[in-house]
Amino acid sequence: MITAFIHQFSSAKSFVNITEKLYPFFLIVGVSMLILGWTWGLLFAPQDAVQGNSYRIIFLHVPSVIFAELIYFFMAVCALMHLVWRVKLAAYLIKSAAPIGAMITFMGLLSGSIWGIPTWGTWWQWDARITSTLILFIMYLGILTLHGSFSNLEKADRLMSILVVIGVVNIPIIKKSVDWWSTLHQPASISVSGGSSIDPSMLYPLLISVIGLGFTLIALGILSSRSYIFTREKNKKWILEHV
Amino acid sequence: MLRLVKAESFKLSKKLKSWLGPLLIMVLVLIAFPLSIDISQFDLAKFYFSIIVVSLLMTSFVATEGMFEEDFEDGSLEQEFLIEKDFYKLVLSKIFVYVCLIGIPIAFIGALFSFANGVAIGSFASVFLLLSLSNLLLFNLFAFGNALSINKGAMLGVLSSLPLALPIIILLGTAVRSIQFGDGFVAIITLMTGIGLLMSAIMPLIISAALKTHID
Amino acid sequence: MKLLSAQNITYSINENKLFHNLSFNINSGEGLHIKGGNGSGKSTLLRIILGITSPSKGFVETHAQDLNISYLGHKNAIKNYLTPLENLELLFNDAELKIAFEWLRKFGLFDLQDELTASLSYGQQKKLALIRVLARSSDLIILDEPLVGLDQATADQLTSFLIEKLSEGVSLILTSHINPMIDCRVLDIGANDA
Repeated sequence: MITAFIHQFSSAKSFVNITEKLYPFFLIVGVSMLILGWTWGLLFAPQDAVQGNSYRIIFLHVPSVIFAELIYFFMAVCALMHLVWRVKLAAYLIKSAAPIGAMITFMGLLSGSIWGIPTWGTWWQWDARITSTLILFIMYLGILTLHGSFSNLEKADRLMSILVVIGVVNIPIIKKSVDWWSTLHQPASISVSGGSSIDPSMLYPLLISVIGLGFTLIALGILSSRSYIFTREKNKKWILEHV
Repeated sequence: MLRLVKAESFKLSKKLKSWLGPLLIMVLVLIAFPLSIDISQFDLAKFYFSIIVVSLLMTSFVATEGMFEEDFEDGSLEQEFLIEKDFYKLVLSKIFVYVCLIGIPIAFIGALFSFANGVAIGSFASVFLLLSLSNLLLFNLFAFGNALSINKGAMLGVLSSLPLALPIIILLGTAVRSIQFGDGFVAIITLMTGIGLLMSAIMPLIISAALKTHID
Repeated sequence: MKLLSAQNITYSINENKLFHNLSFNINSGEGLHIKGGNGSGKSTLLRIILGITSPSKGFVETHAQDLNISYLGHKNAIKNYLTPLENLELLFNDAELKIAFEWLRKFGLFDLQDELTASLSYGQQKKLALIRVLARSSDLIILDEPLVGLDQATADQLTSFLIEKLSEGVSLILTSHINPMIDCRVLDIGANDA
């Protein structure tokens, strides 16, 4: 019953049909929010009392690292769906999300490094969060390489899903152990439950850029998975009718 | 199960390169390291142990490389599947044999060298135990990386399993500190034994699924 | 007695169909010769029957409990860093080893039993691999292109062995591009038209 239900709503065909109208919305809203958030953050938000203007890189850095992890968790959910219910679409989504995840993780690392020079006086520190983000980046690369190394794509899908699931089990372990090992980072500034230690005049543009980047990434994800679906299922009848 | 353990240890003992190679690499690295630095300036005993840890990582990676490749290439995996219907027992026996024949000797060499270099971290026995347990964890992990990347080379193996190995390395480092400061050693050995048993039970399941996908 | 039946087997790889809706039965004592062009999926069909590969659609049902299957595919499943003798010792128990030795003699490998398998010729290695099937008693024998790489004498020995087994009630499924001189039903899965 559940399986039939899942399969009906998770066919590549219905995904393509539903996202057809959705992605322009995500793209437009996402990009305009990003522009708003970044202009506000870079030009109008006040200077930081301690870090001066250099803190402004958070409007790129914080959204990037947030989505670096969220994308991985999204992939893990897809991987479970692929392994348990054999949903093909889930594997397509992982394959299309992984390059985006790798890119955004790299962006997070790069912006963090640049930010590190004025604040810590070095562009690299073996700090807990940097290290676990670097590991996350290597994991994305591993997933992509693994999928790329098979000619039988169904095998590639399944092995990739296994690796993604193992990885997501390991992420908290990596985080905890790296934390245990050493930490230099400032504690998280924004928390959902308690009050946040960041001024509203900086918080709002930050939140807007986070949401904007999220929407943009969803739009990018939809676009890349659509094109991936078209290449994978190019012999199916519905694709021929669709194009 | 006994049949598989016998067969695997017989095969491994016949493959001189596979089991002697990692041991030799371990010895070479541990000898080469002191030669490559100016000992008069550094306190060798202080960081010799981290060299042991890194060589442990390297040698266990080399040792497990090709663990399933040969059986995959020559069709033995398929024949095994017809008998057992899955690979759980095969993987379990293989890891057991590899740990016994390669992992534990490597740990012994590591403990011997740390002792000879005056690394002040407890007795020979405790270092040996620690390194053996680490090898149990690392072999399980790299067996997984190896099963994913059968036949696709070392780079893929490193990319897919090295991130997973880092917590083990950190755990090992913490264990060393705990011995140096003289407390918590029993606790950390117990923790590592627990993780080792858990991994030895679960990893073969996952590896078995990966191998099944490969022959599919 | 019905041993095994396949229902509507379809297999596709990367969305390309190799074959579809194949259905057939095997009774005990019956032979099935799977025929088809290059790349038509003969070996894949064997692997589906064995349960190694899962079909895209359809299923294979075995009707006997604990069906004893002997199989030899393209891969020999012998270790070339061991001697023929050591290879056989890994495979068989004592009773089976006796039969295996007889086959070693028949195949002219007896004097080579302590050489390294890697130094044997392709044909000799193939014969050694065949002993896996010949020395074990089973209900169903599945062979993938068994005659390839064999000299005429060995091929004849194998053929007469298989004919004898069929008469004993053992079933046989094989793929071959030349007609085996065995009384078999033929299943033609055609050329690969995808």
